[in-house]
Amino acid sequence: MSKVMSLHDAVAKYVHDGDSISFGGFTTNRKPYAAVHEILRQGQKDFIVYAGPAGGDWDMLIGEGRVKAYINCYTANSGYTNVSRRFRAAIEKNEVLFEDYSQDAIMFMLHASSLGLPFLPVRFMIGSGMVDEWGISKEVRQTIDKLPNDKYVYLDNPFTGEKTVALPVPKLDTAIIHVQMASPDGTCRILGDEFHDVDIAIAAKNVIVTCEELVTNEYIRRDPTQNKIFGECVNAVVHCPKGAHPSQVYGYYDYDPAYFKEYDAASKYQDGPDAVAQLKKAAAKAQKALDKKPGDEKLAAALEKANQAAADAESGAKVPETFKDFCEKYVYSVKSHEEYLDKLGATRLLKLLDTSGFGYAAQLDAIER
Amino acid sequence: MSDYTKYTNKEMQAVAIAQQIKDGQIVIVGTGLPLIGASLAKRVFAPGCHPIVESGLMDCSPIEVPRSVGDDRFMAHCAVQWPNIRFIGFEANEWLNDNLNEEGTEPRLIAFIGGAQIDPYGNVNSTSIGDYHHPITRFTGSGGANAIATFANTVIMMQHEKRRFIDKIDYVTSPGWMDGAGGRERAGLPGNRGPQMVVTDLGIMKFDEQTKRMYCAYMFPGVTPEKVQENTGFEIDCSRAESYPAPDPEIIRMIREEIDPGQAFIKVPKD
Repeated sequence: MSKVMSLHDAVAKYVHDGDSISFGGFTTNRKPYAAVHEILRQGQKDFIVYAGPAGGDWDMLIGEGRVKAYINCYTANSGYTNVSRRFRAAIEKNEVLFEDYSQDAIMFMLHASSLGLPFLPVRFMIGSGMVDEWGISKEVRQTIDKLPNDKYVYLDNPFTGEKTVALPVPKLDTAIIHVQMASPDGTCRILGDEFHDVDIAIAAKNVIVTCEELVTNEYIRRDPTQNKIFGECVNAVVHCPKGAHPSQVYGYYDYDPAYFKEYDAASKYQDGPDAVAQLKKAAAKAQKALDKKPGDEKLAAALEKANQAAADAESGAKVPETFKDFCEKYVYSVKSHEEYLDKLGATRLLKLLDTSGFGYAAQLDAIER
Repeated sequence: MSDYTKYTNKEMQAVAIAQQIKDGQIVIVGTGLPLIGASLAKRVFAPGCHPIVESGLMDCSPIEVPRSVGDDRFMAHCAVQWPNIRFIGFEANEWLNDNLNEEGTEPRLIAFIGGAQIDPYGNVNSTSIGDYHHPITRFTGSGGANAIATFANTVIMMQHEKRRFIDKIDYVTSPGWMDGAGGRERAGLPGNRGPQMVVTDLGIMKFDEQTKRMYCAYMFPGVTPEKVQENTGFEIDCSRAESYPAPDPEIIRMIREEIDPGQAFIKVPKD
């Protein structure tokens, strides 16, 4: 049976408000961005998120207010944005429920979910803030069906008496992964590191696969050694070339430095009013610095620049690009992934293509210059 | 700048990191300074070391500088592309089997981790500053650092600033020696693993054998005990501090021209 669907239909059918959900990939590698954009366009929200090593994928969904609870370990477009900015702002402003585990804990929890285990004893997190502090209290957890009532419980090893941390095993409604190759029956080929993608594909009730290449069921079986996911785990197969852009796909294309740099700058400000407020704050800070060292030419020049930027933003003469603008430009102003690719343009995408035999685009930064 | 006799604090720090890596060691690296250090070690000081990253890529040998531990630049040219869970199992079994170096003197696995705050016993915070629920500054959180600090000997890298080296950190992301000698065992952590040193831009801090409290073991050229104390938010013993040799200009040339020519992590000083 063919599971091939359009991106629109796959997201409409399998992604729902309130789902407990996980994406494949690793920070800036093989992240299912095309599906993220489609979710943003369709409006699904209130997700219970098992984020794993996340980046701009979940940062955008957090910034757009779609996340109810963020079970996290690391969120950054590493090397471009060291701490994802909408994630950071949401936590600093107390706007999202969040829970911290170590990456090891989340990866093991998703693996345990794929193994069908009832719970999971581990040795890590002992002696750390991750056992001392609960991001989401027991009381709040009791009000959310899809969260266990406890973050963890201490449990002595019944065989040895050793102290362990017992972790709950998540029940995933939805997993979305982006792979190099899939066939209509759902069989998936992942080249390079599979990350936690196979785990969430087995564990989740509904699985959407977006793929670079859609090949026949017969063709993908010619070399089963390379196949990683049994088709019966998969609900929808979406042919979606460049569907992980701006992140990397091993053997196909590299991340897009220009995109990540633009996102880094834009995501500093949620929207216009936030930009004005932050630029005013920066100007006040520059004033304070100069007050401490009156006569310092560098500080005086910095203050003048900061004042100008704040005044320009307030008058509307020159407002910096914000997160909202960015989303409008790359997500909402286009109807589909194909329109998005047209907007990026062929030249830009061609520059990102992997160098044969490397698994990435050699000298990518040099090309950029 | 082509004058390789002049170097920045960060370049000195990268060289010091590289010199802590020994031949045959399995080295958990991240991006940034540890990667530069490990790349340098692989070329010069310890060509037989095995860099691994927490995404599960083993024996990495990147030609270009990766920006993330899951970067395809790590993924290409490595020995094995394991999923992350295998990496975690591997590091845990290194401790369970007590795998030592060939001489049998110390564990063969060593890890580099970073952070925003550190206390006198090497406990590290990379989660948030201020109240956990309503922080002044939020960082990425643990990533793989917590389990690494649980199972492996660590080298901690940090900029040496008073606000970072403090008596009580706001959140323990990666446990060090906890509250001192015996602290790890009392907490239920492996007692025969823990932080070995802190490499900063001023020198190398170690932990006292008996008390597990941080002291200054080496100062980089031009650094005084006063400067170390001035930049440390708790009392630090500098009486045992030796001076650390300046880097060979050839090593500085390698960092700038071969390892990080794009200046992804180390900026070359302007003339």
